[in-house]
Amino acid sequence: MTAPDSTAAHGAAAPSPDHAPGGSRGRIASPGTPASRRDILRSFRPAPRAAAGLITGIGAATALPLAAPQLTRRFVDDAIGGAGLRHLTLVALGYLALAVAGQAARLLAAWLAGGLAWDGTNRLRERLAEHALGLDMAFHGRRTPGEMIERVDGDVVAVADFAVAFLMDVVAGFLLLVGVLAVVLATDARLGGVLLVYCALIGLLMARTQRLAVPSATRARAASAVVFGTLEERLAGVEDIRANGAGAQAVARFQQVSAEMYRAEVRADKVRSALLAGTSVAFAAGTALVLGLAAWGRQSGALTVGTAVLLFQYTQMVRTPLERLIDQLKQYQTALAGIARIGELLAERRTLPGPAAPRPLPAAGALGLRLRGVGFAYPGDGARVLSDVTLSLAPGETLGLVGRTGSGKSTVARLLLRLYDPVEGTVAVGGVDLRDTAPASLRRRVCVVTQDVQLFAATVRDNLTLFRPLADDGRLRAVLEEVGLGEWLAGLPDGLDTELTGHAGPADHTEQDEPLMRHTGLSAGEAQLLAFARAFLADPGLVILDEASSRLDPATERHVERVTGRLLAGRTGVLIAHRLSSLSRVDTIAVLDGGAVVEYGRRTDLAADPASRFAHLLHAAGVRA
Amino acid sequence: MTGRMDAQESARVTARAGRRSAARVRPWRVVARVTRIVGLRRYVIGALLWAPVSVLPLLSGLVLQRLFDHVSAQRVVAIGEPLWLCAALVGVEIVRGLVMVIAWVYGTYWWDAAATVLRANPLRSVLTARGAAAGRLPHSSGEAVARLRDDTADLVQLTDDIVSLVGAALFSAAALVIMAAIDPVVTLVLLVPMAAIGVLNRLLRGVVQRRHRRARVLGAMVTGFVGDVFGGVLAIKTAGAEDAVLRRLRERNRARRDAAVRDRLAAGLLETGTGAAVEISIGLVLLLAAPAMRRGAFTVGDLALFTGYAGWLAALPRTAGSMLSRLPQAAVAVERLTRLMASHEDATDLTRPGEVWFTRRPPSAAATPPGHDDPLEVLDARGLTVRHGHGRGVRDVDLRLARGSFTVVTGAVGAGKTTLVRALLGLAPLDAGTITWNGRPVADPGTFLVPGRAAYAGQVPRLFSESLRENLLLGHPGDGRRGGGGDAQIMRALELSVLDREVAAMADGLDTVVGPRGVRLSGGQVQRATAARALVRSPDLLVVDDLSSALDVETERLLWDRIAAAARDGSGPGTLLVVSHRRAVLERADQVVVLDRGRVAGRGTLTELLESCPEMRRLWTGELLVEAEEAR
Repeated sequence: MTAPDSTAAHGAAAPSPDHAPGGSRGRIASPGTPASRRDILRSFRPAPRAAAGLITGIGAATALPLAAPQLTRRFVDDAIGGAGLRHLTLVALGYLALAVAGQAARLLAAWLAGGLAWDGTNRLRERLAEHALGLDMAFHGRRTPGEMIERVDGDVVAVADFAVAFLMDVVAGFLLLVGVLAVVLATDARLGGVLLVYCALIGLLMARTQRLAVPSATRARAASAVVFGTLEERLAGVEDIRANGAGAQAVARFQQVSAEMYRAEVRADKVRSALLAGTSVAFAAGTALVLGLAAWGRQSGALTVGTAVLLFQYTQMVRTPLERLIDQLKQYQTALAGIARIGELLAERRTLPGPAAPRPLPAAGALGLRLRGVGFAYPGDGARVLSDVTLSLAPGETLGLVGRTGSGKSTVARLLLRLYDPVEGTVAVGGVDLRDTAPASLRRRVCVVTQDVQLFAATVRDNLTLFRPLADDGRLRAVLEEVGLGEWLAGLPDGLDTELTGHAGPADHTEQDEPLMRHTGLSAGEAQLLAFARAFLADPGLVILDEASSRLDPATERHVERVTGRLLAGRTGVLIAHRLSSLSRVDTIAVLDGGAVVEYGRRTDLAADPASRFAHLLHAAGVRA
Repeated sequence: MTGRMDAQESARVTARAGRRSAARVRPWRVVARVTRIVGLRRYVIGALLWAPVSVLPLLSGLVLQRLFDHVSAQRVVAIGEPLWLCAALVGVEIVRGLVMVIAWVYGTYWWDAAATVLRANPLRSVLTARGAAAGRLPHSSGEAVARLRDDTADLVQLTDDIVSLVGAALFSAAALVIMAAIDPVVTLVLLVPMAAIGVLNRLLRGVVQRRHRRARVLGAMVTGFVGDVFGGVLAIKTAGAEDAVLRRLRERNRARRDAAVRDRLAAGLLETGTGAAVEISIGLVLLLAAPAMRRGAFTVGDLALFTGYAGWLAALPRTAGSMLSRLPQAAVAVERLTRLMASHEDATDLTRPGEVWFTRRPPSAAATPPGHDDPLEVLDARGLTVRHGHGRGVRDVDLRLARGSFTVVTGAVGAGKTTLVRALLGLAPLDAGTITWNGRPVADPGTFLVPGRAAYAGQVPRLFSESLRENLLLGHPGDGRRGGGGDAQIMRALELSVLDREVAAMADGLDTVVGPRGVRLSGGQVQRATAARALVRSPDLLVVDDLSSALDVETERLLWDRIAAAARDGSGPGTLLVVSHRRAVLERADQVVVLDRGRVAGRGTLTELLESCPEMRRLWTGELLVEAEEAR
């Protein structure tokens, strides 16, 4: 299948006022190689003025500290030479000014570099998020939110950390190092040569030995992650543990992983401390070498005392930049890995081809649907989930999908939303094959209310509109009133601006009556109603309802059903039913088993036929037919 | 009655507030206790080991002094002595390096052990101490972990800082004596920039920490938003809200950037301030020593010593300043950690010296659960009252569970069903009410109603990232043997909970690693696994909270059939307490308790209640309508 560039889809959808969903995908380049390193690092390129400021800052941060020891030399030599007090005072004041200005320049450069690196990080993160959001559910279905956080946020931070450090430690450090060596070489060529060789040797040695610390440090970090992961799981499961009398075992388990962490850390600390001690000794040896040579030079009368002091000070100045440079070598590996993973993510492509000649769905009114001979298997998984499914529904009618978990009900819903394309057969909504439908119009006209409501750590307004400027507050209030959340809204401290805390992943549901409650201020039933409110706002022509099966008591459930009735009025509905009671409203019923339609007909006919599976189900549920 | 409870409540609040304020005023005492947490001897030895690391630079300074005096001597002396001095410089550093490695590695034991005890104490209290844990834990387990990670680290760090402070003080005292002997005036003047460093650190540290925290919060917000977005990617994509979401991400990114840059600036200011003060000290030495140098009273060696010591002297005010700013934070850490402890425990229990098993094997925790010689005849709860905020909770509920009975608690959302069973099991704090087991009063249900008396399968069950076997046993001895026929007890529990076939189909069977970092089980599987976890403990009383909510009709019926059969033939728990609003469950019940806004609205069999209890009728009207319609 040759994939037509989705830009075409975007262009054709342009006349419609809402072309949001196509937009981000339009920019994805045609399938190709992973984004190159240079391409990724381009995000970090600063604006010319900022770059000029940074270069000035780094230049000053290098030059000023280099100049200061020259004044100390002057001071020592002139003091010994018996210069006037006024002169010495001026030299001392000059030293003061230079040294303090050097510190200030470094601060300025670091501040500028930080700002630039953050701008670059943000650009890269936004680009990644945009790209990832444009990918299909076939991509997202295989990944957890935690994984995506790592890919969109974690990798970017690793690259950004390196970018800041690169400017401040690698560039500035290297400049300072070169400056020191140049000055010493100019002062005394022989001593300069010795210092140069010494710096090269110790740099090489450090680069070699620093690497020794990496495996043990990695293991220590992993062990520490296990400790806190264990703690987190145990604290999230406090009631499971307490009520099953397993507290002592959990504490023992914590002790056990803590001991493993200790053993890993001791190993890492041995290496780390030995390296630090070794580096200190090596630098002391370098200082001793330079001082010994200086003493020798003094003896032969080639050096002044002031020059000896100067050499000493310069030798002291090499350590910090050299250490930082070496340290960045390690970060470089991490950053490279991060860049590689970013490149991989950017190389991911949509699997659903954009339509060559997109057709919009009818802009208003209920939409019929037709599935013809549909077969489906999830990508990367050979197992057939649906085979030869044929269903049709006239505009305004309601279909109930019945079947056990895994029978393929949800897959039918996903195909209707074009989260996937069928492997064989066609899915058409409003008379248009979904493969030819303009994406924006599909999103606007087909709406889904899922069983687990996806809430965001944002205001009630944002949760309703999903961050879009959809409707004014009056309309939002009216919709909340319509689904029966009016009273709830009135009880919120800041009305529509009240922040819901979102669902921070399953780890955050603790021991409450209704787990959602504590974290969002919403009970499961209220969350369900909020999802209905979203659907009302969208005003779709086809509604797919994955019915909430759990944690709703019959009274709340009945309220949800009334709202369902209102939502389905004048719209086509597909209802994935978990409760038989809610099937009383549907016109037709399809019973799925193993991905095939095993029973399909008008509800009243099926209920009346004692041999039907549907009637059997009713009986099993205790509804006397 | 309300009056009495108000008094109780206020007494508790005062007690808690008292405990908190008490913790706030004595961080030093807590710090002193932390130093004893793995034995004071170890702490003192660790500190003594570090002392040479701080003090040895004194010697380097003296060597440099002599070396420069030689170099600057007018008369050229033999080259031998300067070379020896150079060797001495390296020698001092070698000794210092060796001591540092030893002190560091020794300190790692102390650090890790202290942190582990500080973490194990609250954990033990949360998991095993008397009284419900619910009220003590923060909203999210993530936050609880943050406390156990960061707050404990803060406390241990503070005690660790004392070691650095003592070292810096030793160095400074000796250095000042040496310097004063050379030139008292210059020495005295040097104290000014040093004091400035202390003040700067004291003042700026707080700002740095605040900004850092803000940057972290905003960073977490971006991370959380990214997680939210990809967790809710289905909602976003199906609504076509991608662009709006990206706009929001951009806004949050910007806020984070500004905070992060400000954070770095504050930290940079502190660093620069300290560095500048050291440079100013050196400048001051040059300025003030100029006349003496001209006279020859202040040598080049003295200059080298003064400038060298100035850098090291800065460590004392820096450490002292940062420690002073750390203290209030330590007080907060103590308070936050103490809040995790049971109500009868305080900061003393938090810092109680404990054992760690870093170098030897811990004693086996898989002790046999305390056998009980008093099997359930009747569990009687009277006047159970739990007062949550906003009028939720339960009021004055009586519950009588006779051996062999099947009791179902039902009611609308928020009626207090889960609260009731949690209170009964001591998982939620009881504000009033008594519980008796065969007529004997139960003082602390949380530690009494555990296996083998009772076991619980909660509504939002948890599995841990371990093998399924470990998840089911959780230290319970089971059959004692692994694999093969040794898992009979587990297999039996899995069969009762209708999970046997699914487990058999897993490639690794009971060794399959499940939980957040393992194989993801479906909601129904997790719930049935939790039921199996309770069943494996062969309790007298099985308490199940809405187990069947994620099960299909057939599986659910099979599950209750098997559990009922096991109850009849004595191979499973005989007494059942179940929260449900499912018809299939209600019809099996000997006793249905209907809750309405925390109070008992009716009690009896389903048939009786449908006749007599308006709330039951209200709950079931819908279902009956369907029944009537389908019957037509």
